[in-house]
Amino acid sequence: MRRLLLPALASALLLAGLAEGGPARAADAPPGASSCTGCHAAKKIPDSVIPRIAGRKSSDIATAMREYRSGAWPSSVMGRIAKGFDDSQIDAIAAWFAAQPE
Amino acid sequence: MTTRRAFLKLTVAAGLAPAVASAQGTGRVVVVGGGFAGATAARTLKALEPRLTVTLVEPNRIFTACPFSNDVLAAVREISQQQFGYDGVVRAGVTLAQTAATAVDAAAKTVTLADGNRLSYDRLVMAPGIDFRWEALPGYDEAAAEKMPHAWKAGAQTVLLRQQLQAMDDGGLVVISSPANPYRCPPGPYERASLIAYWLKIWKPKSKLLILDSKDAFSKQRLFQNAWAELYPGVIEWVSLSQGGKVTSVDPATLTFVTDFARHKAAVGNVIPPQKAGAIAALAGVADRTGWCPVEPVAFESTLQPGIHVVGDAAIMGGMPKSAFAANAQAKVCAAAVVELLAGRKPVDPLLINTCYSLVAPDYGISIAGVYRPDKGVLADIPGAGGTSPLEVVGGYRSQEALYAESWFKTITAETFG
Repeated sequence: MRRLLLPALASALLLAGLAEGGPARAADAPPGASSCTGCHAAKKIPDSVIPRIAGRKSSDIATAMREYRSGAWPSSVMGRIAKGFDDSQIDAIAAWFAAQPE
Repeated sequence: MTTRRAFLKLTVAAGLAPAVASAQGTGRVVVVGGGFAGATAARTLKALEPRLTVTLVEPNRIFTACPFSNDVLAAVREISQQQFGYDGVVRAGVTLAQTAATAVDAAAKTVTLADGNRLSYDRLVMAPGIDFRWEALPGYDEAAAEKMPHAWKAGAQTVLLRQQLQAMDDGGLVVISSPANPYRCPPGPYERASLIAYWLKIWKPKSKLLILDSKDAFSKQRLFQNAWAELYPGVIEWVSLSQGGKVTSVDPATLTFVTDFARHKAAVGNVIPPQKAGAIAALAGVADRTGWCPVEPVAFESTLQPGIHVVGDAAIMGGMPKSAFAANAQAKVCAAAVVELLAGRKPVDPLLINTCYSLVAPDYGISIAGVYRPDKGVLADIPGAGGTSPLEVVGGYRSQEALYAESWFKTITAETFG
């Protein structure tokens, strides 16, 4: 728990840039990300044909979303959903999922 | 769990840090209703801010899920596969009050429980689901539902309707009455008709199914109708509102559906009644004259009672349909917003997704999706996004969507109940 760290140590970690490290907290999820987990769950779902995206490379997730959106990559619901997100929203969601535990 | 923002604040505040941290974490949230919206809200609140005291008020020990319950009617699934307990909710640190909420005092910020206890809250999340407007369809009351099941709250009613179908003579007429909008699960009546037709085709091939509708259009209509023509030719007849489909009364003694033009005597009658928000919503003063609950589109706080949030089927969510996916998505957004509000911060504008699968046969799925954002005070569809499965497809598209539907159900129930 970060809040248990001594303030001095916390400051040192912040200066070292480590405050950005560790898994992204759910509270920091960018708009739209929490809806994704309705299908792409945080926990592993046995026998699911829906791919997990937690812990995947940010660039892979963002590229897939853009290709779904353009139709370059065929899909069922993902093309229709991706059309609701602009590039910056896609990048923020991709970065957040990439930071979640695999 | 400390967010990055809180962490920064903590670091800057140095010597005062412990006081700041504890002040931010205190808060009592009561959640009323343990379905897809309520159970999700309770678990998410604890996950986002473990220092909150979160109490879930839910009288049932076991939740029976509506999505996929039409598969139970078609005997390709058992009711036990629809049932989920609250162990995962308790494991998440939520206090479970296994009783009903009987009153809400929005001014005093208290919820009165059927067991005599009273809970105080800083914020209340209401997820009461639906109740039926028994008075709206003459002849249809709780006793009538034992003869003509609604099966629109899954459980004993689902099992009853399945038993009636199985006991029916081959050649008997199945009648479904479908209500006007809005109601829980817009494509649900048509998925039900499809899966009953699937089952009739195997077990009662001389039987037919009639849908009497109080609408002229329905969700995924062309996809359903094309599939009916392809899979169940001549089995399903749909009578729209303008064709005289609106049921004006029922006679449970004779299983008769009465419209302005005809009397239809059923061998099995399924009445999907007009609906409203769960009864506690009206008692809390969060339901308006429509029977549903108006909310603002960022934190889903009631526009009638400050400090009370409403999520799931009970709420008026603009373009978002009343679905389990939507309820779960709204609950997660609401929980995050409640954490922000309790910490004295302003929640950011959310984006929400809905995806609804329907099965036309166990291996034939169709879907509708949408993306929503706050716009002019309501949750509005983002233009250009969303839509249904294509009318023309190649290869295994429909069977793939049926597989996705099944995986979605496993996922959403795990997301909701842990």
